[in-house]
Amino acid sequence: MSYVTLNYPFEPLEAPPEYRGRPRIDPKLCVGCGACSRVCPSDAIIVEDNYRDGLRRIKLDISRCIRCACCEEACPTGAIKLTREFELASPRKEDFTQIFELRLVKCSICGKPSDYTVRQVEKAKQILSHLPKEEVDEIIKRITVCRECRRKKTIRTTFESIPILGLIRA
Amino acid sequence: MKWTIDRVIEIIKAKFGKYIKDMYRPMANQVIIVMDKSAAPKATLFLLKEAGVPEPQLSTVVGTDERPIRGMFSIIYWVSVNAEGGDAWIGIKTYLHEDDLKIESITPLHPGANWYEREIRDLLGIIPVNHPDPRRLVLPDDFPKNIYPLRKEYDYRSKPTVTPRHVFKRPAEGTVIVPFGPYHAACDEPYHFRLYVKGEEIVDADYRGFYNHRGIEKLAESRLTYNQIPFIAERICGICGFVHSTAYCQAVENAMGIDVPERARYIRTIMLEIERIESHLLWIGIACHLAGFDTGFMHAWRIREKDMWLAERLTGNRKTYGLNVIGGVRRDILEYRKSLALNTLSELKREYKEFVDMLSSTKSFIKRCEGVGVLPYNKAVAYSTTGPTARGSGRRIDVRKDHPYAAYGELDFKVPVYKDGDVLARAMVRIDEVWESIWIIEQALDKLPGGPLRAEIKRIEPYREALSYDEAPRGENVHYVMLGRGNKVYRWKVRAPTYNNLPAVPEMLKGYTIADAPLIIASIDPCFSCTERVLVIDVRTGEKKAYTEREFNYLSIRKSRR
Amino acid sequence: MVMKKRPKLRSIWVFHLNTGACNGCDIEILDVLTPYYDVERFGVKLVGTPRHADVLLVTGPLTRQSYYAVKRTYEAMPLSPRIVVAIGTCACSGGIFYDSYAVHGGIDKLLPVHMYIPGCPPRPEEIIYGVAQLVGLVEKHVRMEYAREDSIGFVLPKYPVSERIRLDLRDLLNKVVGYFDRDKILEDFLKLVEEAKKARDERARLRELIEEYCKKARDPRLCFCINLLEKEYWRLRELYEKKMVPPKIIPY
Repeated sequence: MSYVTLNYPFEPLEAPPEYRGRPRIDPKLCVGCGACSRVCPSDAIIVEDNYRDGLRRIKLDISRCIRCACCEEACPTGAIKLTREFELASPRKEDFTQIFELRLVKCSICGKPSDYTVRQVEKAKQILSHLPKEEVDEIIKRITVCRECRRKKTIRTTFESIPILGLIRA
Repeated sequence: MKWTIDRVIEIIKAKFGKYIKDMYRPMANQVIIVMDKSAAPKATLFLLKEAGVPEPQLSTVVGTDERPIRGMFSIIYWVSVNAEGGDAWIGIKTYLHEDDLKIESITPLHPGANWYEREIRDLLGIIPVNHPDPRRLVLPDDFPKNIYPLRKEYDYRSKPTVTPRHVFKRPAEGTVIVPFGPYHAACDEPYHFRLYVKGEEIVDADYRGFYNHRGIEKLAESRLTYNQIPFIAERICGICGFVHSTAYCQAVENAMGIDVPERARYIRTIMLEIERIESHLLWIGIACHLAGFDTGFMHAWRIREKDMWLAERLTGNRKTYGLNVIGGVRRDILEYRKSLALNTLSELKREYKEFVDMLSSTKSFIKRCEGVGVLPYNKAVAYSTTGPTARGSGRRIDVRKDHPYAAYGELDFKVPVYKDGDVLARAMVRIDEVWESIWIIEQALDKLPGGPLRAEIKRIEPYREALSYDEAPRGENVHYVMLGRGNKVYRWKVRAPTYNNLPAVPEMLKGYTIADAPLIIASIDPCFSCTERVLVIDVRTGEKKAYTEREFNYLSIRKSRR
Repeated sequence: MVMKKRPKLRSIWVFHLNTGACNGCDIEILDVLTPYYDVERFGVKLVGTPRHADVLLVTGPLTRQSYYAVKRTYEAMPLSPRIVVAIGTCACSGGIFYDSYAVHGGIDKLLPVHMYIPGCPPRPEEIIYGVAQLVGLVEKHVRMEYAREDSIGFVLPKYPVSERIRLDLRDLLNKVVGYFDRDKILEDFLKLVEEAKKARDERARLRELIEEYCKKARDPRLCFCINLLEKEYWRLRELYEKKMVPPKIIPY
């Protein structure tokens, strides 16, 4: 029996309350904005959009995570947080991934998947809750368009905003 | 008359006035003087040797590919003036055209420039003419010859490969040589240190390192944004990571003209000193271990654990604190953490005092360190050594006092300097510095001001440059940054302190026995990886014996037991 | 995590190999030998040459310069059991350096790995846990997690202030007290606001509650933050209430 040696792992041990352990995405809160992926210095969080199935997949790989908490700082909903877990050893690399899949919202013009998720739209509505409902719906309708429709719309609006050319309707 | 930066500028203008093309001041204490290619090396040597400034130091030499900006390459020689020289950093800049990438080497007259010129050659292709030792330094041995990674057209991910080869230097004339086979590394293993001996006595040494060259500067220019770089800077070195991230943030803040809030500066100071304590305690443990005094090793590391636990409670991790961002820090010290820190420090003081008393009365440790590995004062200046290595040889330089940064200008502390230049002097410098660090942290916690933690970043003007510096546990650490477009840095140059100290090691080793070598090498507190092996070649018999690091260290430990 | 198993391997001899790391993980490995953690309880011994080693502890991303030395070291190990343990994020996957020109990646680009221990650097307890798992004394906890949005309910938490104001306050707090404490302090403040809304004079009641809070907290930093939040809260409310005129939408 030694007086100095900690009796771990024979007794459970908790990390101090300020410890930065592995990050974890809370699927109830995440809206799929991808802010965490953009700030991560080691690209441990990857966002892949699948336009065929209309899904956005967020993949967190803790074997590449450097535990800097940049994702926690950037997340607008508080979905990704660094927990205090540190018992993470494993013989297989597949155990280190956490995947969360979200639906992409449909384009308001053509119906194909756009670059935003359904939950992002819900969140945006919550932030704009001080405006009347019809206005919010109008704004959302204008923003949730797929890339192709957005390109076409931009060209048409620019074209029509030039007074002389505006007389020529496409 | 007191020395100021303006006085130094006058001296340079008086001698080299007709070669100066441009001059500008990125900051109050930094000046960049643009000169002709023929005059720049001469002006640098003049500043280092003849100008009479107090304690001049060749701090770093930065090469940049500025072709996208103005169509030329550039080199800046940074010389700092220390001791009572006022707070001055002189950058002598010169431009080189792509077709004529040659510059006169200053190494024959100032040995401290050896590695800088070789590194610029490896990474950019600028050739130092008349360099006494133009071998490859930084890039891996299997990297092809005429490809230069730091040039802007090189993609940071591409990995061209050739068969590896490396050439070690031949031992000096006059020693009895028996030819020992080809020097081509195809049949020879890459060793860290090569010691050339006569019997037990070392006559010369050679070094091949940079096993942990990970291409950090190139990564920072290509993939990372301004606020992500502090995290990679922290992982340059696992023992002195925080000084690198602080130096980088300070360089960008200097270039952008951001005023860091007071509270952030104090928090940075506190964490820097916590890092210094744990680095010095680590070193003391290793020195004890190499001197055969394992009890000292265990005690030093036991005391160090308290410091690591404190860092964990304050920042979330024992190492890699992740605190710095451009403009300040990103985690605060609340009241309960402050009282935790003060309690830990008082425990630490008590245990450390017992430990130092025990150490200074251990005759075997003192005898192993005394008179061994002497680096005389003039050699320490010639190699531009820094930190405890220099302070153990009588150089009164410390970046915290000479060029105050963070909150050091407002705190009171002493700088221990010893004159003997042996391993014991360097050990005493470090032991004394731990006391000073504890005192600094107590003052800073006491005076911790309120206010915000981060400053607003208003504008980023591309292509502005600045230097920043701090005192790592190993010495002077210098970072140079040139801002770029698109939220990325254009050029970032890191010069860690061991870079300046390692070339002085062969000088320290000559004349001592192999059993003393591990302790001497460890006394500069080197920051290189622990995997490598040491090759000992007897110049009389041609016999070669290879030791792994543990076997090599064991030679030192065994000597104490005789 | 109570251990009732018998270890599969006893008396493991390890050789520590650094393939280009920053030395953070190396020091944690040396730390595991010190009295607080003392991995020698499991029979682990650090040896000086790979020829005697059962287990290779690798740290660091595999740099190009150390590639050949690592290969030779692995080949020098006795053929069985030749276990490789990757310690630290850099050894598992290359970490933050994963695509640099001088780095190949994690150690699994060259050698077969039997245990991954991520972390930057991993705590000594994490390394002990990994070694204990290798030896067969504890079970693995971590596993792959997969979730689909439709099978999990979406929660949009409700707060006593509008979401715009809450996000602005959160941003301000980030600049003043950092990412770690901001959520808790914001929560405390919102509780006070909710309480103050019940009174007739909201402003005065909020001021009262804040003063009470400061007296109880005894931390000048928390006081400072809450006062700053109060000022900003009223400023934002006035600002947003003034600009309640909806923007004109141009039909196309």
